Amino acid sequence: MNAPQPAASNGYLLLFRGTAWHEGLSAEEIQQVMTRWYSWFDKLTKEGKLKTGQPLANEGKVVAGKGGHTVTDGPFAESKESVGGYFLLNVDNIDEAVKIAQMCPALAHGLRVEVRPIVGSCPIESAAAIAAGREALVFAQA
Amino acid sequence: MDALVEPASSTSKTGEIPQLTDHLFRHEAGKLVSILTGIFGMERLQLAEDVVQESLIRALQTWPYYGIPDNPTAWLMQTAKRLALDIVRREKSFSDKQTAIIATMESWSSSYEELEPAFDDEIKDRRLRLIFACCHPQLPQEAQTALALKTLCGFSPAEIAKAFLSTEAAIAKRLTRARQRIQELKIPFAIPTGPELTERLEGVRQVVYLLFNEGYKASSGEALLKEDLCIEAIRLATHLTEHPATDQPVTHALLALMWLNAARFKARVDHEGNLLRLSEQDRTTWDGKMIAYGIRHLMQAAAGDELSEYHLQAGIAACHCTAGDSASTDWETILDHYNRWVAINPSPVIALNRTIAVAHVHGPEAALAAVKAIPHIELLDAYYLYHAVLGDFETRRQRNSQAASHFRRALELTEVDSERSFLQKRLHSCL
Repeated sequence: MNAPQPAASNGYLLLFRGTAWHEGLSAEEIQQVMTRWYSWFDKLTKEGKLKTGQPLANEGKVVAGKGGHTVTDGPFAESKESVGGYFLLNVDNIDEAVKIAQMCPALAHGLRVEVRPIVGSCPIESAAAIAAGREALVFAQA
Repeated sequence: MDALVEPASSTSKTGEIPQLTDHLFRHEAGKLVSILTGIFGMERLQLAEDVVQESLIRALQTWPYYGIPDNPTAWLMQTAKRLALDIVRREKSFSDKQTAIIATMESWSSSYEELEPAFDDEIKDRRLRLIFACCHPQLPQEAQTALALKTLCGFSPAEIAKAFLSTEAAIAKRLTRARQRIQELKIPFAIPTGPELTERLEGVRQVVYLLFNEGYKASSGEALLKEDLCIEAIRLATHLTEHPATDQPVTHALLALMWLNAARFKARVDHEGNLLRLSEQDRTTWDGKMIAYGIRHLMQAAAGDELSEYHLQAGIAACHCTAGDSASTDWETILDHYNRWVAINPSPVIALNRTIAVAHVHGPEAALAAVKAIPHIELLDAYYLYHAVLGDFETRRQRNSQAASHFRRALELTEVDSERSFLQKRLHSCL
């Protein structure tokens, strides 16, 4: 990468897309993925690279329309696109964020991880930071 | 039982990350399906399985972020309870029983941290009911084993397929049919009583024994999974010994024979996966703890006056396990056990195994004569071990060319790699 590294990033969001990837997993596999995921989470937290991370419920609402009057049940469950959880990473560049995403233990089972830089208060600096890297969607090699 | 029951979570030596007991989810799944089947009824077995699966998924979705709870078992149980309550409230088909079910479930402790100890006996009771339901004689035996693995041991159809060298689709179909049969036949969620208990328990033990053998046999298949199958069979038999209705000497004999054979599981093959004979195995790799459990259950099996085939097999395994080295093996006692075994089971395979003991006690000539005397020996002609055993006896008689032709014939009859390379080795040594 030739572009100069930005001074500091505003962080990166990992969005875990897919809420049905665990279908058909056995109890044994569920335990294994869960344990690996937890040690991944724990390690990143201790290294100070993970600011926060939370799972999202499959149930929820979508609000739309001019006055926000259209409130529907979101089709979040069992979808490849739905976000099942997120990590807020405190790392300096997107390469490192991508490297972290690549360690996600559920990739092998079809989960996709979207890596999104967070835009800061100065949009120009942020744009430069983003240009320095690239948006990336990491998914398992099938 | 000490070997399998460990604290659900413990802190690892390096510190902070709590470790779950191996196979905790699988074992909890089996337990929870039993509990929920007691609530929903046997005809809604599938619903119980689905709720349990969903509870495990909820753990997968949240534990990575919030950490492993102090009492994972209680957490799973509470989650299953909440999911189940939800379904019972929503589903109209529960209408007549709804109030009663909700009352029962709400009486359970509602804490994520602890389970009431009093609940333990109830759990054991329900698990045993489910064991009897899954091993019901009106279900085909292959359905019984698949169902036991799925509902009681928490295996997925894919895992069962791997263990049985079948396809996932075939196993899924087998399970669906079994659940339908359960509904049609109204198979009860109950522990049989009176004379029926004896007969049904024998059937249950057979299923457990079958599972163990499936795991123990050295044919192809994933090694780890096969070992798991043996351990699951041991768990099921252990549950049987933990309930007064099924805690019988014969049950202990079955458990003893499984422990004593499982103790040698890892020593049976070398690093390249080649089969090793008993005399070639590194006895220091035999599992001393398992041998101790085996011996303990063998002693419990000695109560009463019934001498089952399980007793005799356990006795034979105990002779091997307690011999300091191959040379000090008590072959006379082994032969004595075989003599009693062939007296109650006419299987030519058992008679063939007996001749190996004969060879050790009376020499290869006597063993060959014993082979010739086996009734229906012709049934063994397509069995590679028959020819391998003959080859072995001829080797001991220094008749290498005869031995070689037996080993060649044996080689024609097996396609399992580990067995083939073993036979090749034997063949080369007599050329």
